[in-house]
Amino acid sequence: MRKACGFFSSLFSGLFGTREMRILILGLDGAGKTTILYRLQVGEVVTTIPTIGFNVETVTYRNLKFQVWDLGGQTSIRPYWRCYYSNTDAVIYVVDSSDRDRMGISKSELVAMLEEEELKKAILVVFANKQDMDQAMTPTEVANALGLPALKDRKWQIFKTSATKGTGLDEAMEWLVDSLKSRQ
Amino acid sequence: MFAKLKKKIAEEAATAPRSGVRIPRTISKESITSVGADSGDDFASDGSSSRDDLPAQLLRRNDQIRKLEAKLSDYAEQLRIMQKTKDKLEIALEKHQDSSIKKLQDQNESHQASRTKMAEGMALALEKKDQECVEKMAVVEKEKAALSARLEEMMEQSLALFQKRDDLDELEGFQQQELAKVKHMLLKKEELLSQQDRELQQKEAEVQSAKRGLSETRGKLQALQRQHEESCRLNSEFEIEREELLLLREEADKKISELEGQCQELQLVIQQVSEDFQKSQGMVSTLERSLQELQTEHEALKLQQQKAAVTEEDKERLLTDLQKKVASLERRLQGNLSQDEHLQELLQEKSSLEQSLEETRAELLAVRTNHADTVCSLEAQVSRMSCSITELQTLLRHKEDSSRAYRERTDTQIANLEQQVLDSSERLKNAEQQITEKQQHMDKLQGEWSAEKAFLDQQLCLLEQQSQEKASRLEESISSLQTERQMLQDRGADLDRQKSEADSSLKQRTEELELCRVELNSRQTVSTEIAKALEETRHQKEELQTQVGELTTSLQSSQQEVSTVTEKLALREEDIKTLQNEVQFRQASLIQLQEEVERQRAQMEQMELDKDSQLASLREELLSQTQQLDSCQTRISYLEVEVETLTEQLHSPEVCEEDQNGSVTVDDLDHIQKVNRELEQQLSDKNRTIKQLQQRLAELKRTLQKELKLKPEPEAEGKERLPESRAEKQERLCPDPPPASTPSPPTSNTTVTNTSDLNDSREINFEYLKHVVLKFMSSREAEAYQLIRAVSVLLNFTREEEDMLKQTLEYKMSWFGSKPSPKGTIRPSVSGTSTHWS
Repeated sequence: MRKACGFFSSLFSGLFGTREMRILILGLDGAGKTTILYRLQVGEVVTTIPTIGFNVETVTYRNLKFQVWDLGGQTSIRPYWRCYYSNTDAVIYVVDSSDRDRMGISKSELVAMLEEEELKKAILVVFANKQDMDQAMTPTEVANALGLPALKDRKWQIFKTSATKGTGLDEAMEWLVDSLKSRQ
Repeated sequence: MFAKLKKKIAEEAATAPRSGVRIPRTISKESITSVGADSGDDFASDGSSSRDDLPAQLLRRNDQIRKLEAKLSDYAEQLRIMQKTKDKLEIALEKHQDSSIKKLQDQNESHQASRTKMAEGMALALEKKDQECVEKMAVVEKEKAALSARLEEMMEQSLALFQKRDDLDELEGFQQQELAKVKHMLLKKEELLSQQDRELQQKEAEVQSAKRGLSETRGKLQALQRQHEESCRLNSEFEIEREELLLLREEADKKISELEGQCQELQLVIQQVSEDFQKSQGMVSTLERSLQELQTEHEALKLQQQKAAVTEEDKERLLTDLQKKVASLERRLQGNLSQDEHLQELLQEKSSLEQSLEETRAELLAVRTNHADTVCSLEAQVSRMSCSITELQTLLRHKEDSSRAYRERTDTQIANLEQQVLDSSERLKNAEQQITEKQQHMDKLQGEWSAEKAFLDQQLCLLEQQSQEKASRLEESISSLQTERQMLQDRGADLDRQKSEADSSLKQRTEELELCRVELNSRQTVSTEIAKALEETRHQKEELQTQVGELTTSLQSSQQEVSTVTEKLALREEDIKTLQNEVQFRQASLIQLQEEVERQRAQMEQMELDKDSQLASLREELLSQTQQLDSCQTRISYLEVEVETLTEQLHSPEVCEEDQNGSVTVDDLDHIQKVNRELEQQLSDKNRTIKQLQQRLAELKRTLQKELKLKPEPEAEGKERLPESRAEKQERLCPDPPPASTPSPPTSNTTVTNTSDLNDSREINFEYLKHVVLKFMSSREAEAYQLIRAVSVLLNFTREEEDMLKQTLEYKMSWFGSKPSPKGTIRPSVSGTSTHWS
């Protein structure tokens, strides 16, 4: 089935030019995933409610089309993330930099996610979000807390972002687009 | 005081040259500062003092004075020391100067000696060169004298040559004058000849112009003759035309007569035709008459026929009567059977009657037939006659038509002929008129022609006369010209003769000239030889001059060398001066270096002091470090205690640590510190991991609790299903923690208590399912394809069901392929899953 699917997708890409990039936005509940998604799509801050389920939007950035999936991060629906892993090009892992208590949970979720076979080739972008908060950890602190330096065979980068202020998102997307293009 | 001070100075004087410079300075500085301070104190106290304090102040003042005196004496000593040092320095300087002056003098002497040597050598070389030059000059002067003698000779020869050249020039001038005269004469004669030629040519041109006039008049005459001929031709042509016209007239007359004859013939024919017409009319009338007769006969015959028909009818009536009689008679017979004889007779009668009847009938038939024949023949005759009549009538008509046509034709012919006659007569008249006109024209032309002819004849005569006159004149002129020509020829002959004479004289002169030239050439050769000799002498002279120039240049160069040598000498002197300067500079630097050495010695002393102090501080540091070590050891022991407690908590990888703890007993401090640090790091790492694990554990517990609360009944199923995925993760995440399974007991304790949380999580799950299914239904196929997995997980689809969903979606997405057939296993499984969510 997977082969057939791949054949069809390649056929699609042959017919309609560039394939849409599939990107997952993951992270614990309240990390700001939905805000980031709509900030990327419309460039505005929207008032969000906790996502029960997911949001999917098509984002165009520098002539590349992304199918961005923002999956709900609540504890009860976190197990369903793995249903969405197949054919994923990149994972945006959003971390609440000011939530020092749950950094460990965040790390374990990230590690569990990166262990998945279906995400072996996915690029990892970590958003150290909520940098506008006073007690926010620095990106290096976040990276160390998530154990990112220990990652091998993985293209990753961490960016300090603030979804409400809109800072850091552009650099992160630039890097993502460049690395996706270079990977193709 | 002073004595002590003097002793001190004496002592210090022994070491003065070295330390005398530095130490006094330091002293002076101190003294100055102290004095300043004292005085400041004085002034400060002065303001606030009273008279009671005066003795004390006086005492103080005395002390101060003493101090000042002591200081003054110190200064005096210092001054003395300074002066001594100064004297010494001056002495040293003088010594140096003396030595340097000596050195300088030595160098100067050596330099002057070398200079004198050089000068002598140069003077010797110069004298030698002068002698050589003088010798060369003597030789050159001798040569010069010889050359001047030769030059004088040559000058004489050249003078003689010049005289000869002058003679030759004069001779050539005379010759040229004579030649010019002869040429002038010749030119004049030639001019005369050319003038006469020109006259002759003019006359010839006149003759030619006269000839041209003649030819022109002749051309005119010819043109006139041509005109005459043309007029004659025209005349003849006119005559021919006239004859032709006459012939035409005759022909026309003939044609008219012929036409008249034809006319008469035609009239005759018309008459004949009219006669024929009358005859045919007569015939027609006779034929009409015969027709009338025949018609009458026909009518009579018709009457006879009618009569015969009437008689026939009578006879038939008789017959019918007779048959009636026969019939009556037969009836009588039948009534009277007995009377056979009678009967027979009657029968006989009857038969005879019948016979007679038949005979009559036959006769009648014969008559009838005859009648019919006759009637037929007559009718045939009538028809024939009528046919002939019609033929005749048609003939008559034809004839009438033809006669009419003929008449018309003849009439038209006649009219045409008459018209032709008229036309021809008109033409005739025109021709006659033309002829008359032409004749008139001819007459006129003849008149004109004759007049022209007469005029031309006259002109001709005149021209002939003129030409004759001209010819005679020209002949005369020609004869005169011929005579002139003869005269000119005579003259030319004379001139030729003169010319030949002049030529001969010229030849003689040229011969003389050539002779003179030959002489000249020989003289020129001689002169060229002389000139060559002169040039040679000049060359020699020039060479000598160049030699002299070379010698002078060599002299100049030697002088330049001398000057350069003197310049070098000056440079050497300058060098000596610079060397002296250097010596002085070196002396100064020596002094500076000595000073520096002294300074460095002092620095060394200071450095030693510093190092001593550093050593002391290092010792202190060592002490403190040992103290720190002690504290570290205490910390290590504390940490060990902690580690032990932690190992108790963790039950796991503390063995190695303990091993390391066992090695703590070793005295090597560094090793202990290192080990200590490593242990601390490990400890902190492990603490962190422990914390994380605890957090994770707590979370897992929470989720487990929730799950358990959700499904209290199918607990076994839920445990199998959900953590299936989770278990893998956990295994991967924390490969070492066995407590992952152990904390289940507390969760089971908490499951029953919180019912609201249970509802909440169920609600969340249901909402999640709802949301996903809604999205799955509403989203694009590409997105829906990604959602199949989530839906199948949420609804607990089997593998086949999920594949089926994927196939159907792919079928929807692609344009081709067949729809996958649904499998029978769907329904029960769907119904099975629905129970989970109710």
